[in-house]
Amino acid sequence: MEGWLTRIATNTCLNLIRTASRRPELVTAELSEDETDWLEKKASGGAGSHHSDVEDRVVAADLAARLLAGLSPEDRLALTMIDGEQASVSDVAEMTGWSESKVKVRAFRARKKARQALEKLLGRKREASGTDFSL
Amino acid sequence: MRDNHITEILDSKPFASLSETELATMRAHVASCASCSRAYDAAQISALLIKERADEAAQKSLDANPFFQTRVMAAWRERRETNVSALRRLWNSTGALVTTMAATTAALAVLAFVAPSSETINQPTAALVPYSAESVVLDQSDNDQVTDDQVLSAIYSDDDEGR
Repeated sequence: MEGWLTRIATNTCLNLIRTASRRPELVTAELSEDETDWLEKKASGGAGSHHSDVEDRVVAADLAARLLAGLSPEDRLALTMIDGEQASVSDVAEMTGWSESKVKVRAFRARKKARQALEKLLGRKREASGTDFSL
Repeated sequence: MRDNHITEILDSKPFASLSETELATMRAHVASCASCSRAYDAAQISALLIKERADEAAQKSLDANPFFQTRVMAAWRERRETNVSALRRLWNSTGALVTTMAATTAALAVLAFVAPSSETINQPTAALVPYSAESVVLDQSDNDQVTDDQVLSAIYSDDDEGR
């Protein structure tokens, strides 16, 4: 009963997201000064540390929302559940009604897309500033 | 490892779940591979952003849900009601037995403590009451007792009559 309701709720949310207009991919020109600073700070070695400053958290949450907005609803769901909420592949499969292989593929694709989007941003920033951000 | 780029490993599982061995291998590779170095940084930041997003969503769901307290209170009441009805069911099934046992225990207590004490109280009462049966009998016997003078006069009067 609980699984059935969860699946209905998940599918309803996915349909709502699917019908909403897709936002364009995250590009450097859209970034605010705070977001650029945040990215530079993390890329220069602070990425491993969990920031505690409230302002930093707000910037990160906004940046994350924009990064995830570039993904399809299904990919976004898989990535948020597995990487963000530490859900297992089987949990996501049970909630969505997808096969475990499909969940894995969606998560892999979403991870790759998010990484590539950030990679582009970092590459452009490095080209623009001429700084080497390697860890 | 130089030709084995790490992007496949980065995309195959959450960054936070990568083992120390995998991380060490990747760090060794990114030291000599510029493209993988950028991919490694991006994956690290991406994982951090997604985790931050999840944390914020969790915090928001706790802080901003106006029905949170209502739901918690409803769950608490339901739980309490379940406990009460369980006690009631227990009483319904064993109430008659418990009542009978209590009544029996009370009756035994009355018989053990009240009845023997009433018997012991009667004995001294009989001795102390001035008009008890014993005292009446004793008094009567005292009254019937013949004095020495009466005995002597009766003997001698018989002798005198014989002479």
